[in-house]
Amino acid sequence: MNHVRRARPWLGTIVDIRIEHADSARAERAIEAAFAEIATVHRLMSFHADDSDLARLRRARAGERLRVNARTHEVLDWSLRIAQVSDGAFDPCVATMQVARGALPLPKSAVIPDAQASWRDIELLDGERVRLRRPLWIDLGGIAKGYAVDRAIAVLRAHGAMQACVNAGGDLRVCGARAQRIDVRSAGDVVRDAVELADAAFATSTSTGTQHLHGASKLAIDAGGTVNVAAPTCIVADALTKVVLAAGKSARAALCAFDAQAWRHDSRRGWQSLGLAA
Amino acid sequence: MRARWLLPLGVGATTVAQVAYAVQYLSVEQAQRAAFANATRFEPVAATIDNAALGAPEGWRPLIWRVWNGEATVGWFFEDAVIGKSEPITYSLALDAAGKITNLEILEYRESHGGEVRLAAWRKQFSGKSSADPVALDRDIRNISGATLSCRHLAEGVHRLLQLYAHVLAAKP
Repeated sequence: MNHVRRARPWLGTIVDIRIEHADSARAERAIEAAFAEIATVHRLMSFHADDSDLARLRRARAGERLRVNARTHEVLDWSLRIAQVSDGAFDPCVATMQVARGALPLPKSAVIPDAQASWRDIELLDGERVRLRRPLWIDLGGIAKGYAVDRAIAVLRAHGAMQACVNAGGDLRVCGARAQRIDVRSAGDVVRDAVELADAAFATSTSTGTQHLHGASKLAIDAGGTVNVAAPTCIVADALTKVVLAAGKSARAALCAFDAQAWRHDSRRGWQSLGLAA
Repeated sequence: MRARWLLPLGVGATTVAQVAYAVQYLSVEQAQRAAFANATRFEPVAATIDNAALGAPEGWRPLIWRVWNGEATVGWFFEDAVIGKSEPITYSLALDAAGKITNLEILEYRESHGGEVRLAAWRKQFSGKSSADPVALDRDIRNISGATLSCRHLAEGVHRLLQLYAHVLAAKP
């Protein structure tokens, strides 16, 4: 069995891929293809770039039908599902507020967004088309990294990897018959705990005071803790960490809807488990 | 999907431990071969670098190779290091003969962080495990979650190497 491990900077972090494969040359090709897929997701869903699908959407007029890449369409679809189940605690349209408070850069060319716009104004149509009911800005920073990890795992599987782990700075997914151990970091970069995962995804988000916004209240989330979510897919795990940070115990419905479980840590109460029983 | 914690949650602190983390991804030779399958020779280049002009820190000395295929230059290869969160990240950059990036790989990543490990028994359960144990099997390839590693320093490093190429190497006969 050949073990191959590589790391490259993508998605604003260092993406680490390791696989076990029966054939060493095919292992190298599998990893190249997985990084290529991650690069594609990065380019399509970058808020910063001026030629991404998100940049095209923020130049769209209200009511205009715009065709996006199938991947972008899929991530938007997941975003809306999670927004719905979390009552808007997760909302990709907080981008406008994030720009206003300096957490995201001001886009170069864009239609002025409607301050009242929310995820409910994004309409997904057949043929990978999107229609915005009001002009709005979308940021997929809370979900696209998880999606990129899922896509990379799918590519590695298609290339015959027996075991694999893709870790994008804490949003990770493992596949293969054998369980893998993951060390878990809490606030202050302290490794305290470990989980064992098999065919599962795991994501971590730490509330550093002002980084995340509650989608519905538009207030900064200052829970002062760390949230870990295990879920069948990384897109769900990634997005649900933000839901748990924003909604706390009210996130239970969302966790159950997506077969996920969460653990929240803060210095006062220690660990609390939410969602499905561990 | 299967996920379970490997220690009882909510148990109080008992010990303090340092956790170190290091991964070697590729050697320089492996990275060179991966980036230039058709190379016949990697010629080390001693370039005079004006660090201040490139906005580089004092003492910055990347290793440079000119890559040949027979009599033709097919590209350039660099080994450099930047500081990640606290420890250096070693990486390689490959450029084609026109100076376009063809490959960027992390060669070695290290990190150390002091940590309060809450349960002595938790650490013991790993140190005592045999190679037959499914968890211990993965000890050499462990993962750390929650590390949102800034790759800004890496981007700055790559930018400096591109400047170095443009100002010093591109004009070489």
